[in-house]
Amino acid sequence: MKTTILAAALAPALVLPIAPSAAQELIARNRVGLPDAPNTLTFRLTSYDLYASDPATRTAFEDLFRDFIAARPDWKIETQLQTGNIGQEQARLLQQTQAGRGPDCAMIDSSQLALFKDTGVLQPMNMVFSEADVADLFPYVREAVTNEAGEVLAWWWFTDLRVLYRDTSVVPEAPQTWEALREAGLASAEAGREGLLFNGGRWEGTAFDWLAHFWAQDGQLVDEDGAPVFAQGENREKMLNALRFYRDLVDSGAAPRRVTAITDYDTFNAAAAAGTASMFIGGNWQYGQLRTTLPEDHFADWEVSQIPGPDAESRATGTGGWSIAALSSDPAKRQLCGEIAKEIYAGPGNAAQGLLPTSAAIYDQFDTYDGPEYDLFAEALENGVARPGAAIYPEISNQIQIMLGDVLAGTAEPEAALDAAGRAVQAAYDRQ
Amino acid sequence: MSARADRGPGPGSARPAPWLAPAVLVLAAFYAVPVLDVARLSLSDATMVRPATGVSTAALRAILTDPALPQVLGTTLIFVAVNVVALQVLGLMIALALVRGERRGLRGMTAFRTLVLAAWVVPGIANGLIWQMLFDEAPYGTLNSLLGYVGAGPVAWLSDPRMALVSAVIANLWQGTAFSMIVFYAARRGIDPTLYEVAQIDAAGPWRIFRSITLPLLRRAIAVNTVLVSVQTLNTFDSILALTGGGPGRATEVLSLFTFNTVFYNLDLAGGSVLALLLFVLGMGMTLAVLAAGARGEG
Repeated sequence: MKTTILAAALAPALVLPIAPSAAQELIARNRVGLPDAPNTLTFRLTSYDLYASDPATRTAFEDLFRDFIAARPDWKIETQLQTGNIGQEQARLLQQTQAGRGPDCAMIDSSQLALFKDTGVLQPMNMVFSEADVADLFPYVREAVTNEAGEVLAWWWFTDLRVLYRDTSVVPEAPQTWEALREAGLASAEAGREGLLFNGGRWEGTAFDWLAHFWAQDGQLVDEDGAPVFAQGENREKMLNALRFYRDLVDSGAAPRRVTAITDYDTFNAAAAAGTASMFIGGNWQYGQLRTTLPEDHFADWEVSQIPGPDAESRATGTGGWSIAALSSDPAKRQLCGEIAKEIYAGPGNAAQGLLPTSAAIYDQFDTYDGPEYDLFAEALENGVARPGAAIYPEISNQIQIMLGDVLAGTAEPEAALDAAGRAVQAAYDRQ
Repeated sequence: MSARADRGPGPGSARPAPWLAPAVLVLAAFYAVPVLDVARLSLSDATMVRPATGVSTAALRAILTDPALPQVLGTTLIFVAVNVVALQVLGLMIALALVRGERRGLRGMTAFRTLVLAAWVVPGIANGLIWQMLFDEAPYGTLNSLLGYVGAGPVAWLSDPRMALVSAVIANLWQGTAFSMIVFYAARRGIDPTLYEVAQIDAAGPWRIFRSITLPLLRRAIAVNTVLVSVQTLNTFDSILALTGGGPGRATEVLSLFTFNTVFYNLDLAGGSVLALLLFVLGMGMTLAVLAAGARGEG
């Protein structure tokens, strides 16, 4: 009897310290699952979910990964983190994969997906995704993740878009046109605010956000064969219209000159929090960030609307996001990679971060998407334009960044800057 | 037994090759082979998505006729020249101030030295991010707010193309001065103190002492430091990448950043290799020029 009592008394002391540590061991800095699991999948991911700096996001994904791997005790996932330098990381990923040293499964930025498809390194994951799953994707997403044979080569698990944020205490009505946006910027400046803020420095966000104004005129960056055509014919005029519009915003004072030094979206959150901004062109994900950053009464003043176009009927917005793709030809690994995309990221992972799903059904599945802002995002997505699926796109973006910097800083006229960009991209294309 | 036999074989009978072989092999493996591989790639059509298919001078011609190259080289020349001169002057000033402070037994010299060295250990990317925050042109930006308190500014630190290059130089100086300081501090400590005592007995003033004793005896250190900081500055791209990304436009795009962009935006491995070779040639040329000038000075 004494032995039984002693055992009963000691049991919690013996078991309790083990139980949490065993649970913790499933998620490590470079691994998900038990270290001695017989099968291994290497997975290269970004630092925005399982290893996010935000504790709530990290916890949500740890729970998702823990449930996922608990159902597959024979597997462990060796995780590899990508840095935020997308161009460099994705180029390295592609090079490693072609050399046979890449991971089994990886996150691929939607802007790079075409490049990976063209090089033939993506492996089909049809065993995971049904025809109905594929049919439920937004059309531009479906086109990007499948090939002509109908194979699912990646799963684009969230999308995003750019919208106009405004402080309604300064700009009560949402500007619908370029002219109205300029007037609102000038009125903001007169009210002691900074006017319109947007990315204008040397990084991808600058080109991508600005392209909405080019796409709103139905401009085309590349032709059907992926050759650059943005500096030719009608496209040239549309480019110049958008360039002159931005230059006029800065020259008139509707936007501050410091936009040519803005190279991240966090700048806009900081300006909104400091009360110096009245309008900015930002990503949909910033709505949630503003909600948690600003005092409640201050946040109530902020609203989102579609990016104004040359006229109220001509609108566009750039859509981005991340995909997950199998790079291993091993069927078991391809399947596990697809299941990670389907069971962790697309759906619960979207909802955990408030990211926009790429399947219509997921919007109805989670309460996260009941907010009024998602109605606006859904409406804006109808005018969504994805970056072209062409290998030359990164260089087009690079040259647009240079062109905008030169024009906004006043060191080049729009025509000369566009011609220089067109020549540089053509030269790069000829050598690809 | 003779005295010579006690001392072992003389220099004439030495066989250095076996002793030098490991060092030569390591240098060849880690320096010469990559350089040769870059040379091979520069004469190919390799891209990041396609291996080389043959020998070609197309990349060489494309890069050397690129309209952006003169602007990039001009920016690089200004960036390197200003930095090399300023790094030497600032490093020497701090080193001499440290030695003088230590000689007089001033307190806080160790803390001062540590403070200067702290900037040196900051990674380039972090350096760029730190200065990006300081140069922030928003109404609440750090430096502009400080300038505002004294009725100056605001300054377009990063949005004005000319000022952006000045800002990049400031960020590089903040980080790089410590290295020059270490070199000059060590060299200055190595000068025989008797020379300074004699100069004081002869009633030589500080400027005369600096000109006639310190500067001539630091000549070798200045030559070595010039080579090292020139090559370091020529290869600097991480802090600029984080600070301005090379913008606005191409205003702060130096050769090393241009090389990076050619490879990772253009995916042009052959073109990037041509630029890497150009960097190598420029670095080697600067080194040989400084060493030649130093040899003439000593001759």
